[in-house]
Amino acid sequence: MSSRGSGGRSNGTLPQTKICQFKLVLLGDMAVGKSSLVLRFVKGQFDEFQETTIGAAFLAQSVCLDDTTVKFEIWDTAGQERYHSLAPMYYRGAQAAIVVFDITKPETFERAKAWVKELQRQASPNIVIALAGNKADLAEKRLVEYEEAQTYAEDTGLLFMETSAKTAMNVNELFLAIAKKMPKTDTQNPTHAARHRGVNLQDPDAHSTRACCGGN
Amino acid sequence: MAVHSAINGTTAIPWRSSRKRLTLLEQLRGCQEAWCPGAPWDRERAHSAICGTPAGCFLIVRDSATCQPSLLCVSTGGDNDTVLDYNIKSTGKVFQLSESRLSFSDLAQLVLFYSLTRDVLAICLSIPQWIYCVTDKNRNHLSQLEPTETWLRTPPEQQTDEMTHKEPSTVMCSIQLTSTNGALCIINPLYLREHGDDWLTHGTTAAQSATLPSNIRRERRLSTTRTWAGAGVQSKRAISLDQEPTAASIESSGLSRARSADSHFPLDFSTPAVPTGVVLRRPSKDSACSPPHRASTGSLTVFTQTSRGSNSPVSELQQHGSPVPMSPHRVSWIEDGVWLSPPRPSSLLQPPSFELDSLSISSIEEEQESQMPSAASHHASAHRLADKVIHRLSAVGQALGGLVSQKKRLINRVQELSERKGGSFAENVKGFVEMTLKKGVDLDGVTGSEFLQEVRSSLTSLRETLLDYPEIQALLDSITDLSDAEIESLVELSLHKVAVKPVSAHLYSCIHASRIKDGTLERLQSNLRVLEKNKVEELGASAGVGVPDSSSLERIQQKWTSMHEAYSPNKKVDILLKVCKSIYHGMSANASSAGTVFGADDFLPCLTWVLLRSDLTTLQIDTDYMMELLDPTQLQGEGGYYLTTLYASLYYISSFRPRMPARQLSVEAQHSLNQWHRRRTLHCDQSRRSKNRRTIRRQMCRDRGSQNSQTDTESKEESGSVDVDKSPQQAGSSTEGLPPLSEEKPRGQEVKDVSKTPSSASDCNEQGILSKQKDRQTLCAGEDEQTKN
Repeated sequence: MSSRGSGGRSNGTLPQTKICQFKLVLLGDMAVGKSSLVLRFVKGQFDEFQETTIGAAFLAQSVCLDDTTVKFEIWDTAGQERYHSLAPMYYRGAQAAIVVFDITKPETFERAKAWVKELQRQASPNIVIALAGNKADLAEKRLVEYEEAQTYAEDTGLLFMETSAKTAMNVNELFLAIAKKMPKTDTQNPTHAARHRGVNLQDPDAHSTRACCGGN
Repeated sequence: MAVHSAINGTTAIPWRSSRKRLTLLEQLRGCQEAWCPGAPWDRERAHSAICGTPAGCFLIVRDSATCQPSLLCVSTGGDNDTVLDYNIKSTGKVFQLSESRLSFSDLAQLVLFYSLTRDVLAICLSIPQWIYCVTDKNRNHLSQLEPTETWLRTPPEQQTDEMTHKEPSTVMCSIQLTSTNGALCIINPLYLREHGDDWLTHGTTAAQSATLPSNIRRERRLSTTRTWAGAGVQSKRAISLDQEPTAASIESSGLSRARSADSHFPLDFSTPAVPTGVVLRRPSKDSACSPPHRASTGSLTVFTQTSRGSNSPVSELQQHGSPVPMSPHRVSWIEDGVWLSPPRPSSLLQPPSFELDSLSISSIEEEQESQMPSAASHHASAHRLADKVIHRLSAVGQALGGLVSQKKRLINRVQELSERKGGSFAENVKGFVEMTLKKGVDLDGVTGSEFLQEVRSSLTSLRETLLDYPEIQALLDSITDLSDAEIESLVELSLHKVAVKPVSAHLYSCIHASRIKDGTLERLQSNLRVLEKNKVEELGASAGVGVPDSSSLERIQQKWTSMHEAYSPNKKVDILLKVCKSIYHGMSANASSAGTVFGADDFLPCLTWVLLRSDLTTLQIDTDYMMELLDPTQLQGEGGYYLTTLYASLYYISSFRPRMPARQLSVEAQHSLNQWHRRRTLHCDQSRRSKNRRTIRRQMCRDRGSQNSQTDTESKEESGSVDVDKSPQQAGSSTEGLPPLSEEKPRGQEVKDVSKTPSSASDCNEQGILSKQKDRQTLCAGEDEQTKN
C-alpha cells in the first residue's frame, strides 16, 4: 500500500545492510516547529532514501548508520491542546519520540515536560525519547536556558539537543543520535520490522540490546 | 527476536521455495525425437503424417545422408491438407530456415521461436499442450514418444483435460522463464534491428490506422521489455489480464474477437495504449484458419494452438476472422492469431470488470468512475478523459512489468479456488459467508467491534487455508517484483474479493446498528451542528491555512462515496489517501502564503473541517470497517497514519462537548481508545505469514501475551486514573502533569488521563503479570479456534 519505496528496495542495492524500521512520533505544542524540524531532516538527506508521501504530517526517511539502514516512519501530531486526547492513538507502538519545544516560549517547555511524562508513563516502555529545543537560531529571544533543559533531560534520561530547523543546526545530529539509540536486533527487513514492532519493545531481549546501544 | 532467517538482509519466505519445473525449451529438447524423428522418417512419411492435422502441426525431417535436420514440414490445416516445407540450413553449430536470417544454436530453440513468431513461416508452429505437463519426473518418457501417436495425434480433449488439471500447479511466472531462457531475449531485438517495425503499417486497413501510431510505439516498448518472450511461452496457461475482459466479452456476446476489441472501449478508440489492444489483421493464405490478429499490449499474451480441436471456442472465433492481405514479414508476438485464449474452464473467465487494472493505485480514480452510476458518467469531461488516458498508460506500463497480470492471476486463482466444489478453501469461504450473514444486525449482545474482530480472525484463518494450497504458493513464488508487504496486501485483496465482498453490506448494517446503539452517530450529528459553522482556524489550524474549495470539496465527496462503495478495506485506505492528498492540495493552493508546508498541526483541523462537510455516519462506518478489517500489517506506514488521523478526527467530533463536565467524558473516551488499541495489538501478530506462523506459534503466543499485558496494564492503569480523577485531591496532579493552555482549559482537562502517580508503576507490573496470563489463555484459545476452522 504505502510501504513501497526505498526501504523495500534497498535490499537490492545494499545487500549486506541490515534494515531497521521504526515508528517515530513527534510531540510538542503547536507552532514549535515539529514539522519544520522533520522536513529539514528529510530534505537534508539523499533522495535515494526518501519516500514520497502525500503530505508532511507523515514522512518516511532512512538514514545509514554503519552497517544498518534505519528507516524512520515519522508521525506528526497536532499540538493543539484540544487535540491532546488523540495523541495516544499516535504514540502507541512508537519506538521513538521527539518532544519539541520552542526555546523562546517557556510554556512550550513546560508542555514538553508534560509530554515526556505522559510518554514515559503510557507509551511503550522502551521508547527512545529525544527532547529538542527548537528555534535555537533565535538565541537573543531565548527564554529557556540551555542548562535548564539539559539538566531536565539528564534527570529524565532523554536525549537532548537544541536545534534549529531554520539553520539545520543539530537536525541531522538529533536523528542520528536517535538512530544510534534504537535497538537493532531483529529487523532484517522493513516489513518484518513493521510486523515485529509491537513485540520487540516488550521483549526482554530488546531491553538488554537497548542498554548496550544506549550508551551513545 | 528474529523468526525468519536472514539471507543477505532479506528474509527467506517460506512459500517462495522454488519448485523444479522444466522450461518449455527443456521440454521440447526432451521430446526432440518425437518432433524430429530420425530414419526411416522422410519427407513423404512426414507429409502423410501431418496431413489432416490442425494448422501449425509440424515435424522436422532429417537428411537421410547427413542425418542433419533438413526440412521443416508444417501443416496449414483446413480442407486442403497442404503441408508446407521449409528447408533448414545447418551451418556449423547453428540452425536456420533458409529463407530467414535468424539462426539458432539448437533445433529446439528454433522450434520454440517459430512457435511464438511466424517470421518467414506462413503459420506459427503449434506445440501440443501436453508438453507443458512434462516435469522433471516424467521427462524420461518424453524420449519414447512416437511422432505420429503422440506428437501429432494427441486428442484435443485429452489436452484440454490435462491443461485444466495441471494448470494450477504449473503456473509460473513468465519472467522467471525468460530469465532462464536467454534465447528468446536475444532473438527479438535482433529481429527488430533487422526488420525494423515499419512492416506494422503494411496491410493495415484504414479503419485501424487511427490506432496505429500508438501501437508502434507500444511495440517498441514491448521490444525492450524483458517479459514478452517468456510470457509468450508461458502464457499458454497464463491468461493475460489485458485480454481477459475481451475474451470474456466474446464468450458472452458471441462477437468476434476483432470486433470486440474495437468496440470494447469505444471512448478510447483514439487514445493511445488501450489495454485491450488493437486489431491488426494478418495476411494468410488460408483465411479460414487465420483469425484476426491483434497487437497484444500486455506483455503476457495468450496463445494456443491455432485451430486445434473443433470444439474449442478458438475455432469458432476464427470463423469470424476476415480475410486479410498478406505481407512478407511478420512477427507474431504482437499479433494474436497464435495467441488466442486457450480453451479453458469457464470458471477461469472473469466477467469484464473495472478491476481490470484496479490494483494499481493510479487506477483508483478510474475505478471510481466506472463504479459511478451511469448518470454521472455523462459528465465525463475532457479533463477526466485525460486522466483516463494517464491511468490507462500507467496500467499498460504496469502490464509491461507483468505485475498487473500477476496480481490479476492471483485474484482469479483465488476466485476459482473459492468456487471449486469440495475444496477446503471453498468450503471455508462458504461457511464464513453463511455464518457472517446469519448474524443478525443487532449482533445479539456482541459489540460491533467484537463482531468485526471475529470477522477479521476468520479472514486470517481463511488466508491460512489459502496459503496452504501449493498452487497459490507457486503463484506467489512467481511474483518477484513486489515487496513482502505488497504481496501480503495482494493476498488480502484477493481474499476480500471472495470473502468480504459478499458480506460487506451486512457488515455495514452491523456497524451502523452498533454505532447507533453506543450513541456515536447521534453525538456526531449533534456535534456537527455545533461545529459546522467553525472556520478552520477555529478548529485549531494556524492562520492562513487554505481549505479545499467547493469544487474540490465536491470531488472529495465523490471519493468518500467510492470509498464506501469499495468493499476491500485496503482499497478504502487507498482512496482515503487520495482524499488526504486533495486536502493537502487545498491547504496549500488556498493558503494565504505560498510555499508553506503543513504538518499535523494544520492537517488535522483541516481534515476535521472537511469531515464536518461530509456524511459523518458513513465515514464512521467506513472507518470502523477499515480499522477492524484491515490486516494489521497494513495499518503501518502512510495508510496507517492517515487512517489513524481520520479515526482521531471523527473521535474528536463525536466527543466534542464544550459545556459538558470534562471528567465524565474522559472515562468513556479513554475506554474507547483503549479498546481500540487493544484490538489493534491483539491482531498485530496474527497476520504473519503462513508457515512461519505455524512454527512460531508458541513463541508468538508468549510475545503476544507480553504485548497485550502492556495494553491491558494501560487500560487498567487508565481506568484507575479515572477513579483518581474523580477525587479532588488528585486533580492537582493532573494539572501538574500537563499544564493546560489557557485557551482550552475546560475541554483540555477532559483528557487528563495522565494523572497516574509514578508510584503505581510497580502495581501495574503486577497487574501486567496477571493480565498476561489471562491474555495468553485467550489467545491460545483463539488460535485453537482458528486451527479448527
